[in-house]
Amino acid sequence: MTAYLVRRAGQAVLVIIGLMILTFGLIHMEPGNVARSILGVRATASKIAIFNHTYGLDQPLYRQFVSYVGQVVHGNFGTSYALQQPVSTLIAQRLPRDLLLLGISTVLALVIAIPLGIYQAIRRNGVGDYAFTGVAFTLYSMPDFFFAILLIAVFSVQLHILPPEAPQATSVGGILADPRALVLPVLTLTLLSVASYSRYMRSSAIDVLAQDYIRVARAKGMPERLVLLRHVLRNSILPVVTVVGLSFPLIVAGAVIAEEVFNYPGMGLLFYQAATTHDFPILLGSTLVVGVSTVIGSLAADVAYAVLDPRVRYGRG
Amino acid sequence: MRNSRRVAAVVIPLVLAVALAACSGGGSGGSGTARKGGTVTVAELPDATPNLIFPLPPASNTDGWNVNLTTPMWPVLTYAGDGAKSAVNPQESLFTSITWANGDRQATIHLKHWNWSDGKPVTSRDFTFVYNLLKATVPNWINYLPGSFPTDVTSVATPDAHTVVLNLDRSYNPAYYVDDVLCFVPLLPQHAWDKTSAGGPVGNYDQTTAGAKAVDNFLQKEGSQMSTFATNPMWKVVDGPWTLSSFQSNGAYSYVPNRHYSGPDKPVLSKLDYAPFTTDTAELNALRSGNTLTTGYLPLNDAGQEGVLKSEGYSVAVQAVPGVAMIEPNLFNATAGPLLRQLYIRQALEDLINRPQIVSKIYSGYADPGNGPVPVLAFPSLASPLEKSGGPYPYSPSAAAAVLKAHGWKVVPGGTSTCQRAGTGASDCGPGITAGEPLSLQLAYSSGQTSMDEQEAAIQSSEAQAGVKINLKSEPFNTLVGTVGTCTAGSHPASTCGWQLVDFGYDPYELYPAGSGFFNTGGPNNQGGYSDPTMDNLINATEYGSSSSAFFAYEDYAARQLPWLWLPNQSFLQVYKSNLKGFTPLNPFSGSLNPEVWYFGS
Repeated sequence: MTAYLVRRAGQAVLVIIGLMILTFGLIHMEPGNVARSILGVRATASKIAIFNHTYGLDQPLYRQFVSYVGQVVHGNFGTSYALQQPVSTLIAQRLPRDLLLLGISTVLALVIAIPLGIYQAIRRNGVGDYAFTGVAFTLYSMPDFFFAILLIAVFSVQLHILPPEAPQATSVGGILADPRALVLPVLTLTLLSVASYSRYMRSSAIDVLAQDYIRVARAKGMPERLVLLRHVLRNSILPVVTVVGLSFPLIVAGAVIAEEVFNYPGMGLLFYQAATTHDFPILLGSTLVVGVSTVIGSLAADVAYAVLDPRVRYGRG
Repeated sequence: MRNSRRVAAVVIPLVLAVALAACSGGGSGGSGTARKGGTVTVAELPDATPNLIFPLPPASNTDGWNVNLTTPMWPVLTYAGDGAKSAVNPQESLFTSITWANGDRQATIHLKHWNWSDGKPVTSRDFTFVYNLLKATVPNWINYLPGSFPTDVTSVATPDAHTVVLNLDRSYNPAYYVDDVLCFVPLLPQHAWDKTSAGGPVGNYDQTTAGAKAVDNFLQKEGSQMSTFATNPMWKVVDGPWTLSSFQSNGAYSYVPNRHYSGPDKPVLSKLDYAPFTTDTAELNALRSGNTLTTGYLPLNDAGQEGVLKSEGYSVAVQAVPGVAMIEPNLFNATAGPLLRQLYIRQALEDLINRPQIVSKIYSGYADPGNGPVPVLAFPSLASPLEKSGGPYPYSPSAAAAVLKAHGWKVVPGGTSTCQRAGTGASDCGPGITAGEPLSLQLAYSSGQTSMDEQEAAIQSSEAQAGVKINLKSEPFNTLVGTVGTCTAGSHPASTCGWQLVDFGYDPYELYPAGSGFFNTGGPNNQGGYSDPTMDNLINATEYGSSSSAFFAYEDYAARQLPWLWLPNQSFLQVYKSNLKGFTPLNPFSGSLNPEVWYFGS
């Protein structure tokens, strides 16, 4: 396993370098003048010159890239053109907010979806299965912004029992100290994820329940609760592990719709606004962070496979 | 609070900033008995997070919201807006008077005897401190216009502690200089800020160019540390009515009153909270829930929510925006340039814009009619009789068809008109226009706002009535800005001159809505290459001369010549709790918000 992890780490470095080259090149191929985009259409020639010089945009592209790599190696992602703040500071401010909101939502979604999927598999084609399937399809097909606005309209505007905004504190402690404000955004993200995860879990559990070793376990008199916990759950959860592993970069990248609707500026909004304003340093920094998290998420899923499935062994060719 | 952006620096997309106005501004005091204390929570417009507390932003910092943060603490010399009037507010301005001499080449500013919050007097030295910093770093100031302050100042004298004498390199119209130049100049506490490091002593470093650069460098660096905005002792020395008590990285910040404020309107409220929002939708949801915001804004697209908000205890006030909305023609686009250089074609295009319908149907009546370069609602005293009567080109498809036919066009309503008589004669299509050439133009505009989409679609439809084919192209505002360059007769590269017609939203005006920069030859805001010696002379007369009739002459000429196609400019709807008094009348130049005169009533 150690050798495998070392090999994957080496691959990850190559992936990250490739990502940097690709992202840097693509971003600089965007149409339009960056300085004019940031300074506005009325920017004078002298202001554009000052801007380009300040950010090194008057240098050849390869020099800009070398300079950027040098910065990144030293932990410096540059300074946002539009926000005038270090990108690392902006990411440090936004990332924990997303990790908290999306992390809570993902955990809650798993807590609900896994037993729900197993329940539906056991009660396959029963009333309960049909009911939850209907709910899942409804939620899955519903645009997240619509669902969020619906919840706000009911619980904030009509009933006045929950605030329409997510917590406005900037620290994790401050956010957690305002649990009422967390309810609607967490509920939105959780229910939409449950719809997805429960379908994977149901499908996988149905397959597992049909396996011989389940019949053997039951024939040997193993209590149903243990059959479900030891055999069904452990074997059917692997697809969900894959999905969760792949969703890790999404957690890091933020949920732009939820951030917009619930007034909760996070990584998603930061990236979106940077994309619309040609704010290259933020685009590069965010892409790098999401790239690293993708590698980590993928690696974590592989490790989880090995833990959950004894047949999976890494490191021997 | 004050929402300000320099015209030359930024064109404001309507989608983001319909409330923006120029310079600082204030309202007049409310009536009735003020109840002391209370906290007001104000909704900020989306993406309105300030990032610099030092009030002299460099050219590379385009965050127009910094002025909202700083002006309540360090007001500018000229306080624009007196109640609802577009006029200088003599009570709130930092000078008692400004006298002019030497053929309007010398301005003597008599400062009021105010104090800084630390008890030290506000003096003429504070002005020279600002002047020295700007002069040493020019052109690296976001509000700098080539040839304008501080480079137009040949010398500064301070005969006493409250008098500043500016000798200028040319004659100016005093109204223009006071309204549009000094409104960007704050006074800053030399006795507290003239240093080059946090622990270093205060000196007179600004009196040499190198020293001034070092001081500016230090202040820019300190001023960008958002985590210390509310705690750095330097930023506690203020002369405005408010002082910052907290600032969060997400753009939420709070003020408490400056107990030593020398101005006339001492704050009555005990605290002001500014709440950031990611979108209009989030802000509207907060208003509709009725609990968190004392005042906010109602996007025009959601004007139908007015009744719901009133049921939550809010009142709604309409604010005319001091700015000009327009479609800019590119007179030197390779294809459309020959067409757009013809006044009669621009006239036909304007004739075909149904401005009254746009105002009533798209903006629900909340918009300036857009009859010319000066908005009649925001500047009633400077809008000419011609503009007030509907402008030179009221909506008239028949007039458009007639003028096209008179110049050799075959008009095809609903189709595409074509040039029948190529040539340069008075009844021909005009130079550069070939026989059979279609009257087809591309109109680019910034996407993301429903009302903009509706407006451009309405224009496309009405232009078709005389066979003018408009092809719409919407792009994100910053993409649009990045691809639209300045084109002139001498320089029109394909890379930046590919655009034909563009609608960015509107340009805000300062207190004096002059055409300088917009329509004069080579003006920094003159993207389409418009050049007319008569226009140049008329603009110069408004800026450098003192004739009171010069402004109307310029205004009517611009309205008729159509360097831009005039459009309605949407107003701004302010929402406020009905028990918040002093909120109205709204000041057009402050983003309507003047919390020093607010108080809670029953």
